[in-house]
Amino acid sequence: MTGAPMLEVDGIDVFYGDVQVLYGLSLEVREGEIVTLLGSNGAGKTTTLRAISGLRPPRKGEIRFRGRSLASLPAARRAELGIALVPEGRELWPQLTVRENLDLGAYHPRVRANAARNLETVLAMFPRLRERSSQVAGSLSGGEQQMCAIARALMSEPTFLMLDEPSLGLAPVLVEQVMRTVAELHASGITVLLVEQNLRKALEVAQRGTVIETGRVRLEGTSAELSRNPEIRAAYLGI
Amino acid sequence: MDRFVDLAVSAVLLAGLYATMAYGLGLIYGVLRVVNLAHGGVIMAGAYLGWILHGWAGLDPYLSIPLVVGATFLLGMAMYRVLVRHLPRGPAGGPASLLLLFGVWLVLRNVAYLLFTGNDQVIRTSYSTHALPLLGSFVSVNRLAVLAIAVVTPALLHLVLRRTYLGRAIRAVAQNADSCTLVGIDVERIYTLTFGIGTALAGLAGLLSATIFSFNPGFGSGELLKSFVVVVLGGLGSVFGTGVAALILAIVEVFAILVMPSYLTAAVGFVMLVLVLVLRPGGLFGQRVLG
Ligand SMILES: Nc1ncnc2c1ncn2[C@@H]1O[C@H](COP(=O)(O)OP(=O)(O)OP(=O)(O)O)[C@@H](O)[C@H]1O
Ligand SMILES: [Mg+2]
Repeated sequence: MTGAPMLEVDGIDVFYGDVQVLYGLSLEVREGEIVTLLGSNGAGKTTTLRAISGLRPPRKGEIRFRGRSLASLPAARRAELGIALVPEGRELWPQLTVRENLDLGAYHPRVRANAARNLETVLAMFPRLRERSSQVAGSLSGGEQQMCAIARALMSEPTFLMLDEPSLGLAPVLVEQVMRTVAELHASGITVLLVEQNLRKALEVAQRGTVIETGRVRLEGTSAELSRNPEIRAAYLGI
Repeated sequence: MDRFVDLAVSAVLLAGLYATMAYGLGLIYGVLRVVNLAHGGVIMAGAYLGWILHGWAGLDPYLSIPLVVGATFLLGMAMYRVLVRHLPRGPAGGPASLLLLFGVWLVLRNVAYLLFTGNDQVIRTSYSTHALPLLGSFVSVNRLAVLAIAVVTPALLHLVLRRTYLGRAIRAVAQNADSCTLVGIDVERIYTLTFGIGTALAGLAGLLSATIFSFNPGFGSGELLKSFVVVVLGGLGSVFGTGVAALILAIVEVFAILVMPSYLTAAVGFVMLVLVLVLRPGGLFGQRVLG
């Protein structure tokens, strides 16, 4: 089921100005996997995803996608490779309609011709968005905004999808729904890197996990291994 | 009655020019968070470009629209690529870009003094004095043409912003630039184009004004301030808000002539600006950006 390395993060240092946030961080996601990136508040999970998507490039180390270094590839060209991020806090365009948000998801040249078809696909997946399609995104509920953010990312036909705390601030029913969606996307062939605070849920859907602490890898292992780890059970699962 | 019609026509005409200028200023601020103080200088440059093309090459000012718009579009893109791009933006970066763009304006103005002296000029064509009867009064054909262009231009831009991928990308960049990068929009390219478009609107407004009003190298400062008033009143990047605000300003200015000495009418806009900032700091139409 899993194959060659798809994403390799190799010893990256990332800074905000003079403040270092990631210290030689390494991470690997193989083709077809679903991997979760875990860690407490401020550990550097969002920063890691921003580095991969090119919004905050590393000062040291390398990120490779399907064996190719991303160092010289501007962030705006990465969607074309099949890399997509559902950012923390949704980050929709609040005064554009849902439809406009989705259309822009298919902006890059490789997929623009498929925009209409992709729109049908994501609206079939999230019927709620069809009802809301002419409303501005800022007027949606939290759960609907999350669906819209996921749908926008899917419009670009990603092969590698990163999700940053997609269940944040959602009611339990919606958390279930989002997690089911993530599992379905993975089953449909998309490789997934999932950042979650909800460790229990994350380990349920993921095959492997990496735990980071103040910008460094602390633990790695399969979901089963991590769920059994006494440190994790004490620190995150409250057992 | 004649006088009323005259004043009403003047007000609508002025409103069209104000809307065109202000829309350019508001677009640049809405997308880049930069107050383009060079806007007045470009308005002046547009006037002189039209005047040169007319006086030296015999080109009708309406035929020179594509040239003036193209030249000021390129000028705006160059200003962004060479200067503005390297400056900090937003509230903290305000002073740097304000000073720099003010400097650009001074340079443009002084170049104009050197080339053209400080004498007043106007673009006078064979049809400058033609007039059509309208509502019992006579209205100059030139003024009607200027009005038509000044109304059609922002409306066209509005359509571009609404209906095209590029236009949606411009509005999206104004609202959340990082999300644009994530879907593959080259944000720097959008900034460059937006600065070009906003600047070209100033150039167009300058050219159109030059067919009606006399100008010299100092031309553009009053226009810049009026653009501010309209942007503050009408909000950022809303064609409707900009149009209504421009009309309000123009009506107040024009009809102020009836009740106060003319040297005071120029101050009317600023009184309005202060009133709006005090009473409705978000503008009459709220805070939406290119919504
Ligand atoms: N724009 C920024 N400027 C300066 N420091 C930042 C910035 N963004 C994040 N940081 C710092 O970097 C560190 C890592 O932040 P990051 O957002 O990557 O953590 P996180 O693991 O995603 O946390 P959370 O679970 O709260 O989302 C934190 O100490 C944070 O304060
Ligand atoms: Mg985070």
